[in-house]
Amino acid sequence: MNTHDSKFKKHDRIQYLILLLPGLIIFTIGLIIPMLLGFYYSFTSWNGMTAEKPFAGLSNYYRLFHDTYAAQAWIFTIKFTLLNTILQNIGAILLAVALDSAIKLKKLFRTIFFIPCLISALVVGFIWLKLYGNVLPALMDYLGKDINTMLFGRDDTVLAGLIIANNWQWIGYWMLIYLAALQSIPQELYSAAKVDGANAFQQFFFVTLPMLAPALTICIVGITTGSLKVYDLLVASTNGGPGRASTSIIYYIYSTAINGRQYGYGSALSVSLIVVLLIVALIQLRVLKRREVQL
Amino acid sequence: MKKDKLLKNTNKSSFGPGTLVLQIIVVSAALFFASPLFIILSYSFKTKREIYIGNPLSLPESLNFNNYINAYEKLNLKVTFLNTAFYTSVSVLVLAILCGAAAWTIARNKNKFFKFSYFYFIIGILIPAQALFLPIYTVGFKTGLVNTRAGVIFMFIATNISFGVFLMTSFMSTVPIELEEAAKIDGCSVFGIYFRIVMPLLKPAMATLIIMLSFQIWNDYLMSSLFVSTNKLKTITVAIQALFSQQSSDYTTAFAAIVISVLPICILFISMQKYFIKGMTVGAVKG
Repeated sequence: MNTHDSKFKKHDRIQYLILLLPGLIIFTIGLIIPMLLGFYYSFTSWNGMTAEKPFAGLSNYYRLFHDTYAAQAWIFTIKFTLLNTILQNIGAILLAVALDSAIKLKKLFRTIFFIPCLISALVVGFIWLKLYGNVLPALMDYLGKDINTMLFGRDDTVLAGLIIANNWQWIGYWMLIYLAALQSIPQELYSAAKVDGANAFQQFFFVTLPMLAPALTICIVGITTGSLKVYDLLVASTNGGPGRASTSIIYYIYSTAINGRQYGYGSALSVSLIVVLLIVALIQLRVLKRREVQL
Repeated sequence: MKKDKLLKNTNKSSFGPGTLVLQIIVVSAALFFASPLFIILSYSFKTKREIYIGNPLSLPESLNFNNYINAYEKLNLKVTFLNTAFYTSVSVLVLAILCGAAAWTIARNKNKFFKFSYFYFIIGILIPAQALFLPIYTVGFKTGLVNTRAGVIFMFIATNISFGVFLMTSFMSTVPIELEEAAKIDGCSVFGIYFRIVMPLLKPAMATLIIMLSFQIWNDYLMSSLFVSTNKLKTITVAIQALFSQQSSDYTTAFAAIVISVLPICILFISMQKYFIKGMTVGAVKG
């Protein structure tokens, strides 16, 4: 009886494995092996074409820390990420709270806020390029105003221009997450707060915000990782310029490795991005999860 | 009619002065969000002459579809649309089946290997594929996957499977184990249980997964541009980038192309909003 049972279990286990393995194999070939290879290439001076991949030790990593272009790309990417994380969360919470109140035409507004995130980032970049460069100047002309709207044209305004474009695209997406979280807050909490004499603002800060903590975790992690890997948005808008003012780290990797044929160095840059992404995600999950427990 | 869950009006206070402030905020925000959409749509019908004279915010003089015909040809839409639709639908269908199977086997086995598999898949969420585009492209190139339909689909599956497994796992509590146990007693095999009992129960979860991933795969540029370079295999996003760089002065055609490329995804979203919202908010509510 017992041997029969374990034989049966073994048969079951094989079937379970057959269901799991295709996914595991595809994932391993398509993502894990590339990751390990990328790590290996980062120690070579390979140009991406030739058969031999000369071993270069840590020289790529040494260069990484002394490369002013890489530093610029990191500074742009970090600024872009921080501003997005702050502005998008504030904007999304504000809109979600507004859509959770008694205002009119909520469904229409929700759809309007949401549509931009369905557009590819490449297209969003182009849309704002034309808005800043053609439509708004024409409008200023028409109105007889002399305001320079070409935000992508100058290196001190290009970041602001991209932040506006990126917020336009994504605020509606994060807003939906906050909206769902708001709707799941038990009404009794508000009633209890009211009994204790809390006004609207106190209710927001002491009931709503703490209850939004899980959603906040998701949104902060999502916006940070999304912004750190910005590339598509730049391709049809600024091309990393003017000069290098909007070259993100992925944009820099692309131009170094694919156009510049410095595959080994590009791989080292990729490894640095992976390390940053991992650290950021782990810190955020740790800190934010701990706060959730406390609240 | 079923009430929209996300906008239910519980016992929130009725329209007062505070609500008026919120209404004003929302209306002005809506203007900011809608005006670029309005401009794209309106410009896509304008002639070249019209964009140089007059008020940019005015409506087009007439509904002329020249820009659309032009965009249709420049995008090679007959080919690129079918390509994109094919890559997207095959990838998401395979992903739905693979991720459902993976998440279910992981949930039903206490064995260490299966638990480990879950964390193994999660690596792909912590390290997004875009950060690995170089070596993914190299592996694709060396294995002959670049510039083949199967290769593009393989790449989309590999780079999205982590999110899919994560999403499906969070839906596993909706699959009651009792049904499976009853089937097991009746002599049903593991495959039988998955395909006949679990998969039908996972339909809402799969719908959510399919919609969430469709719009990302449909819109992808970085990976698609690396994996596809021959005209015959191009996606809409790759073709539209070529159009943008050629037509930077004639942007009425570009705007018509944008409308064409965004429309299918908008229709899909508006008709299946419910599932989309469900997918996005998984985890946001329960943490």
